[in-house]
Amino acid sequence: MNTFNATHIRKVILDMAYSGATVHIGCAFSIVELLAVLYRNHLQLDLADPASPTRDYLVLSKGHGVMAQYACLHELGWLTDDDIGQYFKNGTRLKGLADARVPGVEATTGTLGHGLSVATGLALAAKLNKTNQTCYALVGDGELNEGAIWEAALFAAHFKLDNLVLMVDKNGFQAMGPTDEVIALGNIEEKFRAFGFDAVTIDGHDELVIDAAYARFKATRNGRPKAIVATSVKGKGVSFMENNNLWHYTRLTPETHAAAIAELKRDETRTP
Amino acid sequence: MRNAFSDALVAAALADSKVLLLTGDHGYALFDAFRKARPEQYINCGVAEQNMVGVAAGLAKAGFKPIVYGLAAFVPVRVLEQIKIDVCYESLPVILIGDGAGLVYSHLGASHQSTEDIACVRAIPELTVLSPADRFEMTATMRLALQLASPVYLRVGKSDRGDVHPGPIELRAGQLVQVRKGARRIALLATGSMVKTAQELADQGLDAEVWSVPSIKPLSSQQLAEITSRVDGIVTLEEHSIMGGLGACVAENVAGQRRPLPICRIGVEDRFSSYCGTWDYLLQEHRLDLPSVKQRVDAFLFNCTRRGPPEATACTD
Repeated sequence: MNTFNATHIRKVILDMAYSGATVHIGCAFSIVELLAVLYRNHLQLDLADPASPTRDYLVLSKGHGVMAQYACLHELGWLTDDDIGQYFKNGTRLKGLADARVPGVEATTGTLGHGLSVATGLALAAKLNKTNQTCYALVGDGELNEGAIWEAALFAAHFKLDNLVLMVDKNGFQAMGPTDEVIALGNIEEKFRAFGFDAVTIDGHDELVIDAAYARFKATRNGRPKAIVATSVKGKGVSFMENNNLWHYTRLTPETHAAAIAELKRDETRTP
Repeated sequence: MRNAFSDALVAAALADSKVLLLTGDHGYALFDAFRKARPEQYINCGVAEQNMVGVAAGLAKAGFKPIVYGLAAFVPVRVLEQIKIDVCYESLPVILIGDGAGLVYSHLGASHQSTEDIACVRAIPELTVLSPADRFEMTATMRLALQLASPVYLRVGKSDRGDVHPGPIELRAGQLVQVRKGARRIALLATGSMVKTAQELADQGLDAEVWSVPSIKPLSSQQLAEITSRVDGIVTLEEHSIMGGLGACVAENVAGQRRPLPICRIGVEDRFSSYCGTWDYLLQEHRLDLPSVKQRVDAFLFNCTRRGPPEATACTD
């Protein structure tokens, strides 16, 4: 039974990041609950076949958050213990950004602004095939700087892709600083509504609220694509990483790794 | 040639409901027959080429066979990264049509002229690059592109230069197609609109063998070796930059062969068009019109036949 426990996912991320000496920890932490709830309760997958033609789609457009998805794919059994334990070792297959050659990863992203278009194509394909598949796409808020996102938004609304659920990880930071200081995004929910989406803003770490939003949007086939703006905390789960943009780039030391793991263990003992 | 293109599109759509035509709001009138025959397989994606290629990738992942149409200045050049990452990295069956390639939009200026598209795309793995010269090659390249079930860039240039083949041809990926035999130990290798020019050049006294190159990538090394083994010089002709296009492909290939061979690459010489005018006028500006080409080839042949090692491996007149 897969639980997709958020604390466990964060531990996997930390262990991967530590053994691989990689960055983008904060970017992965902010989307843990969005992915955990999706994999646990909503994504229709065939465990025996990651490429099953009837699967729901999840396109991780903010490809730099991919460690969070790797942890979920490991839990599904599509990635091995070795994949996780040998992260970034020479000759291994998991890269630092989402890569469509990995089972369960739908699009190659990390170059930003690509994933929503691919997701839009998948959603359109489901419409043309008259299937009931839902296509989820997860973008970062900084990624909304990319023009192609808004091309895709226009397209999705025009073609009435109500089977497309877009999640915006609104953690308020992008590579060089707070989104408000780099390129202010204004009211993201209102923007998507103006583009013809049903849109809602929720707490991106409250699993019950996330679950309810997915349940409502995937069931609402009203001719309008959906946008969930998930307000989140970059680095969520480890106090010294939270809202500290250094953890976009910083690698773990033995000390910070141990301290972060210790915090997560404390959280775990508190979880009923 | 445009009718052949339209016919091929309609035939493909009628034969397979998974074939979809995506356009970036271009192709007025060109798609009338398609829209009449299969309106449900026609998708105008709007003036949003990046999204169009990403959507095509998503459709292809789900089993569709998208044909993505744009002007060559936009598809493939504007959307190069989407082609690389969304389409080619997964080797998806997406056919990208770049229309109006070369100097076709002679009156519109640099934004719509496309003399760098082959150079841009040919280094992308998994991508086949096709460049038909007449209606028969259009039919054959479209058939090949649909058979391949992998990414294809099909370059459509000046389309009203008339036939270079007497009738329909069969085409394999990589194949060069001979359009004229010659008595001189010179081979003219041309693609797209310049095949006609090469034929005219050979007919007007040069008497060289002429080959059309509808498949820029792959390009048959074996056939090239056969050609180079019996000639003393090669001239390549293309309505594209001499950097990274057909001439570069041939030069790269021949450079790896045992026998050195002088090559004259005739194309656009690393510059934008300076002036407005007809397509014929711009050919003159770039010295790609028949008299200019003849002059350049004569100079090259003069160099080749002088004693000692050939002075030039590229056309530097």
